[in-house]
Amino acid sequence: MPDDRVTGRLLRAIAVLAFVAALASVPLFAGKFVIYLAMRVMILGIFALGYNLLLGGTGLLSFGHGAFYAAGAYGLGFFSLHLSPNPLLGVAAGIAAAMLLALLIGFFSVRSTEIYFAMLTLAFGMMVFSLIWNARDITGGDDGLIGIMRESIPLFGGVKISISQDSRYYFLVLFFFLLSFWAVHRIRNSPFGLVLAGIRENAKRTEFAGLAVRNYRLAAFVISGAFAGLAGSLETLLESNARPFMAHWTHSAEPVLVSLLGGIQTLTGPVVGSILFVAMREIVQRFTENWMLWFGIVLLVIIMGFRGGVVGVVRQLADRARGPRGG
Amino acid sequence: MTRKRISRRELLKLAGTGTVVAAAGGLGQGLLLPRNLWAAPPKIKGPVKIGYQAVLSGTLAGYGEFHKMGAVMAVEEINAKGGIAGQKVEMEFRDSTLKPDDAIKNARYFVDSWGADFLAGIDSSGQALALAPVVQQLDRVLMVTHAATEKLTEEMVFKKGIKQIFRICTPTYQDGNAAAFIAKDFPAVKWATVSPKYEYGFTCWKMFQDTLKKLKPGVPFVAESFAPFGTTDFRSHINTILDAKPDGLYSTEWAGELISMVKQGREAGLFEKVKHVIFPVGAAMDVLEGLGKDMPDNIWIAGRYFFLYPNSKTNGEWVARFRKRWNHYPAYVSETGYSSIYAFKAAVEKAGSKDTKAVIQVLEGMSMNSPAGNRVFRKEDHQAIYDVAWGKTKADPKYPFKIMGEMKVIPTTVCYNRPPFEGPGTAPPF
Repeated sequence: MPDDRVTGRLLRAIAVLAFVAALASVPLFAGKFVIYLAMRVMILGIFALGYNLLLGGTGLLSFGHGAFYAAGAYGLGFFSLHLSPNPLLGVAAGIAAAMLLALLIGFFSVRSTEIYFAMLTLAFGMMVFSLIWNARDITGGDDGLIGIMRESIPLFGGVKISISQDSRYYFLVLFFFLLSFWAVHRIRNSPFGLVLAGIRENAKRTEFAGLAVRNYRLAAFVISGAFAGLAGSLETLLESNARPFMAHWTHSAEPVLVSLLGGIQTLTGPVVGSILFVAMREIVQRFTENWMLWFGIVLLVIIMGFRGGVVGVVRQLADRARGPRGG
Repeated sequence: MTRKRISRRELLKLAGTGTVVAAAGGLGQGLLLPRNLWAAPPKIKGPVKIGYQAVLSGTLAGYGEFHKMGAVMAVEEINAKGGIAGQKVEMEFRDSTLKPDDAIKNARYFVDSWGADFLAGIDSSGQALALAPVVQQLDRVLMVTHAATEKLTEEMVFKKGIKQIFRICTPTYQDGNAAAFIAKDFPAVKWATVSPKYEYGFTCWKMFQDTLKKLKPGVPFVAESFAPFGTTDFRSHINTILDAKPDGLYSTEWAGELISMVKQGREAGLFEKVKHVIFPVGAAMDVLEGLGKDMPDNIWIAGRYFFLYPNSKTNGEWVARFRKRWNHYPAYVSETGYSSIYAFKAAVEKAGSKDTKAVIQVLEGMSMNSPAGNRVFRKEDHQAIYDVAWGKTKADPKYPFKIMGEMKVIPTTVCYNRPPFEGPGTAPPF
């Protein structure tokens, strides 16, 4: 029914606008710590959104995306320490480094699928970790790169925008977050995204349709690596350091967890998952010092109790409520 | 059922005594704490809030517990005696997880959300270095109680001027340089190491070699084997060392990893084949208690504090109080945690303010008495200067673990690097 579709689209537009307005007003109303947490949520959100193009979008479970996150972080770090402190160029350098690394690792990994793919990416990720850990003279070993400053963004005509304050840097993170959200939305709904979904549902059939499945997988891998690189470089600007543990498998597991938490079949799932992940951890930590145990239990309950993630379950409930009328 | 009723007269009597008791109590308190009644009203307002973070999860969780015992005890003592400048001390404890990003998040939470006036704790060097610029931005004093990297005080405080950071524990100079002064008195030896495969292990081994080379030119270093974080099987590392046939072993392995290495070393006959062994952080209580009788005799050990040194009244009484409160001997992080809180107390009371700038001014060059002896915060790099003991392990029927027998102190004037930390004459021997 056309009427329903129009109202649906209108409602969605209003929801998106309200969401953006709420995010944009955080620095106006919230305290410093909430601003900081909101930035961490958005950075994790970018990481997970990109990651979910691979997991939910293409059906590939990677355990090595920490490597691309680290590539983004160290890419920005080296660029800003040795070449230019311009944050935007630094972010670009970080993304480029992550994409290059993703191309290299992806080339060898996308030949396999399922558990073999997961193990390969895990191994490559840990290789990158050991490389960073051991090349002490270049990467600073376990101390990481320190002292990366958040310089002003130069605009045309000599005008500079200072982002050294967290409440200002927030808007740069917000900008990249919205950009990522929009980009992932466009990718999912593009013909390219539909091919990826086809590969997820049945790779053989897609191949018989005359499509180069491996190239599509590689493209998805590199694109999701680019988002990981963006997230890594933004975090480096936020915390002014890059650390080897960004490439560790424990960090690679975070977007997996976040995507499962929110729901891998939806666009908003990873974002909702990120909010839950950061907020719940913060809440649990205020009650107990044994937060890891309780946090784990809460995650377990949500992942096992909410099949298809939180967003998936909410959507199912909404559909059921609407069910009889919509037919 | 008869209900016992209180007559009006009795009620009046009760009320009367109540008032008298209350008045006497008030007076007594006033007499005990004249500051509150007659002294000038305190300039500082509200409680003094301290955000403390240490590792409470994973294999090193025991360390965090020891931090906590020391810090909690100091807060209890101070509050029982009227607080800091008449204000109550509040402390919140968080798990630092050893990850730099978690340390940063905790610090931001403490200051921006909870409203901490002071920060303390931090176990790993990576965390301390990553936290430095954040602490400067948050503008709160951070008292580091465990992380040892010399880069924190040399580069962050001295060169970059991040004045908010102080360190109350000994730095890598103690584990590297001072160990070389112990080693130089041994009969001519060939040295080897099994050390942790991260910055701390590399730095200490390098300091040890550099200083020993100057003290004893031509001393050979024959083998090194670095064990990654989380190593449980040290046999390959021990074999590498044994193959090189050294007669001296230097190792900055610590906590559970040192325990594993010593146990496996005993099985391989390491301590019979290598005569001279130095563990610069072997005098930690978790290691001594963990190994018990398995710790071989005649090994040179040290820590950032050892409960039998100094042999002073302050220290003796503190150890007794600590044992009474927690039923444990204090670990070195307990002492540094405990003394940090007292350092804040001394600084705030002298500055008459909780203001970061005023407190930094007082802390620079401040001298304080603590269980570990007299400490002075060096003005240039904010490093606390105090002597710690080295000793040779031996059994003692009074303790269920090995203690230091023959003790030796390498004075800080001899083994600490000096500002400006560059050029000749800044590293020992002087």
